[in-house]
Amino acid sequence: MRDVIVIGAGGGGPVVAKELAAQGLDVLLLEAGPRHAKPREEWTTFEDDANNPLTGYLRWGPSDRDKPAWYREWPQNSFVWQLSGVGGTTQHFYGNYPRAYPGVFEGYDGPDRNGYDVDHRFPFTYGELVPYFEWVEATMPVMTAAMGHKEQTFFRGAETLGLPVQTTKTTHRPSYRPQENAILQPGGTAGKTADKDLLVYPKATGCTFCGYCFQGCMRPNGAPRNQFAKRSTDNSYVPMALTAEVWSRGGKPVELIADAFVTQVHTEKRHGVLTATGVTWRSGDTEHREDARVVVMSGGCTENPRLWFSSGLPNPNGWVGRGYTDHFFDWVFGVFGDYTGNPKGVGSSARLDYPPYGGLENVGLPPALAAFAGTLSDSGIRGHYKNGRGRTGPWDGPAGRVMGPELKEVLSHGMDRLLSVLVITDDDVEAQNRVTLSALPADENGPIPKVTFKQRQRTARTLRNREFMARKAAELLRGAGAEKVYRIDWAPLILHVQSSMRMGSSEQNSVVDPRGETRAVKGLFIADNSALSNGLGGPNPTLTAQALATRTAEKIFATYFDGDPWVRSSAPVVSTDPRISVRLAQLGL
Amino acid sequence: MVGARVHSRRAFLARVGVLGAAVGGGGLLTRSLLAPADAATDSLLPPAVDLIRPVLAELARDTLNGLTVFAMPGRDPYSRTQGTPSPTPGAIEAGATDFIINSLDNFVPFPDAIAQPVGSALVTGLADSGIALPGLEVLPVDLRRLDRALATYLESDEALPLSFPIAGLLNLMATQVNPLAVNGPHLSPFARLSYAEKAAAFELIERTDADLVELLDVQFPEPLKASVSGLLKFVGGALIEFATFGAYGESAVYDKVTRTLRKRPVGWNHTGYQPDGPVEGWDDFIGYYQGRQKVSD
Ligand SMILES: Cc1cc2nc3c(=O)[nH]c(=O)nc-3n(C[C@H](O)[C@H](O)[C@H](O)COP(=O)(O)OP(=O)(O)OC[C@H]3O[C@@H](n4cnc5c(N)ncnc54)[C@H](O)[C@@H]3O)c2cc1C
Repeated sequence: MRDVIVIGAGGGGPVVAKELAAQGLDVLLLEAGPRHAKPREEWTTFEDDANNPLTGYLRWGPSDRDKPAWYREWPQNSFVWQLSGVGGTTQHFYGNYPRAYPGVFEGYDGPDRNGYDVDHRFPFTYGELVPYFEWVEATMPVMTAAMGHKEQTFFRGAETLGLPVQTTKTTHRPSYRPQENAILQPGGTAGKTADKDLLVYPKATGCTFCGYCFQGCMRPNGAPRNQFAKRSTDNSYVPMALTAEVWSRGGKPVELIADAFVTQVHTEKRHGVLTATGVTWRSGDTEHREDARVVVMSGGCTENPRLWFSSGLPNPNGWVGRGYTDHFFDWVFGVFGDYTGNPKGVGSSARLDYPPYGGLENVGLPPALAAFAGTLSDSGIRGHYKNGRGRTGPWDGPAGRVMGPELKEVLSHGMDRLLSVLVITDDDVEAQNRVTLSALPADENGPIPKVTFKQRQRTARTLRNREFMARKAAELLRGAGAEKVYRIDWAPLILHVQSSMRMGSSEQNSVVDPRGETRAVKGLFIADNSALSNGLGGPNPTLTAQALATRTAEKIFATYFDGDPWVRSSAPVVSTDPRISVRLAQLGL
Repeated sequence: MVGARVHSRRAFLARVGVLGAAVGGGGLLTRSLLAPADAATDSLLPPAVDLIRPVLAELARDTLNGLTVFAMPGRDPYSRTQGTPSPTPGAIEAGATDFIINSLDNFVPFPDAIAQPVGSALVTGLADSGIALPGLEVLPVDLRRLDRALATYLESDEALPLSFPIAGLLNLMATQVNPLAVNGPHLSPFARLSYAEKAAAFELIERTDADLVELLDVQFPEPLKASVSGLLKFVGGALIEFATFGAYGESAVYDKVTRTLRKRPVGWNHTGYQPDGPVEGWDDFIGYYQGRQKVSD
């Protein structure tokens, strides 16, 4: 019998595991995918080897790469970018750590208060979450990002839009700024040389500007795991969870089991109340079962609903899996006469926030991913067909795929002369966008999820916001000096995932109560992006999900273990702490 | 009636490319090869399967060559047929066709329960669209023999490689766009299309109101039918994105054992990506915007 079992070691799960381990609880952390314990031996820097969703080492599938990936049903042209493995989807994320906009919380009374998704706010104030933001920001640690050429180009464009520079953590108004990133900033030789021999830890510390965020961060070469630049959870929270005894008095290290796919959450009625009792997971062909006082679901926005349904848990208001938000991204890029440094440095280090419409950020990509990004569209192929869309605006020609000869021409102009802007929409929670169980055949872990997004039937506010931000992106690129600007009109690329098991104040449209516990099953908590109440207004979700997970950890400790909260009364330990490095080395990690 | 049915059957096989690939101008099977299988009875069925398998594989490869040059044209004959020749290497040199075939046949975790009926439908379906196909008479074959070989193949226990139904789908659309594509250079109707016609074929696949499942005449029970219909829309987009990803990626020159590249990938040459190969870092750190290294509320 464990104190706590956490399902999923992605962005959210390791946060709860680490926090409760620090308090001395006995925590079991189960992860469906592989443990990449030796990235220098397992990873490369190549796009197909890393990112091919079917075969890459960063994919949604089992450890054995000769086995097929886990199939998911998407009944529309779309792409849901899930990752299995310790670190989850943070393994290939960009570490952008902005806070949610204040306008998405209860009690907000700014002049633009009616501009947000007012029916689906967080059930508490922004101020309530601030100490948790600060806790995560100090733990990671989150830092103001350094600038490379692609950021310089982005800022040159942003400066023409008549907006102020944001110099606070909180976003109060439309503004632009360097990203606040969960990335250790360059120190020593890092960022100053391309010479391999000089880019060795500790001569180099922090980000070396390699440009391989998407392929997994294992730099600087020779650094302990918890000193790798990008603070994906496999480099930050997981090392802390595994070494809790060395940095927290009374801490107890978490037991982590990889290749452990949870297929069932068990419950029983206790005094008439449905209560979680434990889980069953599969490792290869064997099943294991353990009980716990508290079970935490952190499998992500697509897998939590699946596990809920396949465990036969109740869904009285029908909201399990509903209200999925994805920031309804779009992609606008410019072709420049001059060097932009596009594929170098952190994936993204510059952003523009535009509450209550959404935001923009620059994104650097290597060639195959850039080509993929240029051909994922709901608007057909430029110059040939529009698929009923193909909008025109401050970009060149109609929106649509840049394909074939045109793509070859654009990319042959040089990767280093492109600048891509990710258009992030403040999108509404809508019941129609959801996860259900698929009618297609089950996989080895049970019935598979189906992710439905009705991108053409989104709310008027969502669609308006997307058009607004796409125009801003084009204006920014023109301002930066782009010779040509393309808008792709992406089909849903679902990787900022939020709110499919949403927390809310109303029993009518939420799955999780304001403490993070599910309304239908006691002792069952949700702690990852799916518990977010909404799409945050557009900011990248992980910081807010981790702040919320930290708060949920406190609620678990208080409710089920009679403990006191700690965030307001103590100081966080930074995840780069040398005690953690030493202990990791002893553990062979 | 029988005549109409045979005509429609012949038309369908021509449209998915099987008829042309088997016995057309560049056809891979000759009557004499097919004939022995028919000469005797059941005991000779396995050879028929052995004969048809490579035909379908070649047909799929040819069709997918037509797809990958659509994603990245080069100096190859497929790019010329498409009307967009390019002086520099393209998808064929980049190994994108192998990439797609390997992905489809070995790694797309597409449930057999769907792939099999769609695949069968693409061979056994009647799908008479009423489009007049010219030149069918230049594809002389005893339809019964070809059908028998196909049926035997589909009824065998072998898993149908996914590249085959995908190729069938592209070819079916190709002949919808241009009926003349049943004959011509290359093995497959899709590879015979111009660039604009290929785009038109994808337009048909992507069109949200096109019920491809109806066109394929596959009998799926609900709710599977709705799923298959949605899947085909997904497949349209995915084929384009995957072909492009493959064309610009390193898969053809990647050595799995040494985890290094045997050669510089075609896509890297075009784009100028990391001229000296993989790095540990770059000297691209300029400084902090407005000199600010820290913010607070
Ligand atoms: C390319 C890319 C770039 C991104 N960049 C950013 C960024 O810069 N900033 C940002 O904030 N966000 C970014 N994101 C999003 C970020 O990755 C997510 O916000 C974050 O990973 C979500 O955390 P999660 O815990 O909800 O889900 P995940 O990280 O997906 O973790 C879920 C984990 O649970 C495991 N799991 C699922 N089901 C089971 C089961 N049944 N049993 C056991 N284990 C299970 C999975 O294998 C996985 O490891 C990016 C995403 C992508 C794809």
